[in-house]
Amino acid sequence: MPINISNPKNRDAVVALEGLVPSREVVYVDEKGDPVRTQKVLKSDVTHDLPALLKKRRNVSKLADDLIKDDPEVDLEKFGMYLVDTSRVYVTKNGIVHAVLEFEVISAPNGDIRERRPRRKLPQNLNTDVPLKWTGKFIKKEEAIRKFVFTNKKQLAHVNGLTFDFLFDMAKELHEKDSLLLVRGGEKGNEPIVMNRGGKPYNAFLEGRIKGDSYCLILHLSNMELTRPKEEAAAGS
Amino acid sequence: MPRPLQLVLDGEEFSVQLTKLDRENLYGKVEIEAFDEKKRPAEIKVLAADGSTLIDKGGTALEMVTIEGDSIERSEIKTVDREGREMEIVKSSFGAPNDLSPAEFDDYLSLIVKSVYMLDPAPESDMGLLCDHLNDGQIYSFPFSYRDGIEADQAFIIGNAKKDAFMIIGQQATLQYLKLNQAAEFDAIEEDEVSTDDLSFDLL
Repeated sequence: MPINISNPKNRDAVVALEGLVPSREVVYVDEKGDPVRTQKVLKSDVTHDLPALLKKRRNVSKLADDLIKDDPEVDLEKFGMYLVDTSRVYVTKNGIVHAVLEFEVISAPNGDIRERRPRRKLPQNLNTDVPLKWTGKFIKKEEAIRKFVFTNKKQLAHVNGLTFDFLFDMAKELHEKDSLLLVRGGEKGNEPIVMNRGGKPYNAFLEGRIKGDSYCLILHLSNMELTRPKEEAAAGS
Repeated sequence: MPRPLQLVLDGEEFSVQLTKLDRENLYGKVEIEAFDEKKRPAEIKVLAADGSTLIDKGGTALEMVTIEGDSIERSEIKTVDREGREMEIVKSSFGAPNDLSPAEFDDYLSLIVKSVYMLDPAPESDMGLLCDHLNDGQIYSFPFSYRDGIEADQAFIIGNAKKDAFMIIGQQATLQYLKLNQAAEFDAIEEDEVSTDDLSFDLL
């Protein structure tokens, strides 16, 4: 995915942002030693689940009898089929709907409803005409890890020779400072990062590492502080 | 009450209680309600590629399949390492004391976080020594497995400025140090003065 980001001199470039995967040591194999993989399959659809089966019968006992006698919960043609290219859709009693009104119901940690409002879908700000801003706000690694939980992370990568120098210099500066840099989005450079339209906003921090003539630039994303819930902290003090 | 976890630091053994921490505990949550044009409630379902099969929560399963695409029982599957050697079961970390080793900040920053726990001393146990070391800025790690399994995660123990202790569980990311000739290609998948003290985490 492309990301438009600026450097300390306020020059910007579009580079690549790549996902990071865990370094797994485990491989699953069959008896011949060939690798096996997981596959999502259909277990039941809405016309065969419990509410649908009950709707067609007078009571649970009747359903139990039918389940013993027959297999009304199974569609032999469909069940077990591989699920690929699925989509998420809104459904009412009348079927799929395309125009929906969405509301956000915001609850406090104790469960009290604080607000109900029309859903706000923030646009992505990762790759727009306005680059992500190099804020110049550094935070020492030691301090950052004691303050924030980095719930997601991505790696930046160059897409040509020019952007190699661009990113290498950024990584070098951050490596030498042994710090993370706060990265912000938006015209004023004061907004959290949103990767997809309607996606979660994150506070973003850039980390740079250098090894010889190679670099590693990591974008740490955080939507959570490393702290105890307020009520619990008050009870403990 | 969940089982305590036994830790060993500088030869001193003590037990801690784990309490899971997530965003909901700290900031609350946002739920989405949806209605159609006639204000009838709408629910999200999964639509299969055939365009007609609707699937509710719990309507899917993960099946293990061979390279030919045939289903295979879990009992017929072996777990091996990258060299093809059969792997031994990793025992649950709750079954024996766990030695804490000093860790590097960069190792923690390479962690893909799966879960976060708050640490408290178990009844009749004292984690004062650990808290003292955490307050000095030290962080610790050890292999962690919630239950018997194939592969252990990595746990890091970190203190915050308020002298609380936390355990963060995850797996090391595969980081790539990139050279000039390793340019990436874009894939087609869509996807004022600010102080770090002013960052808002509350229902972003």
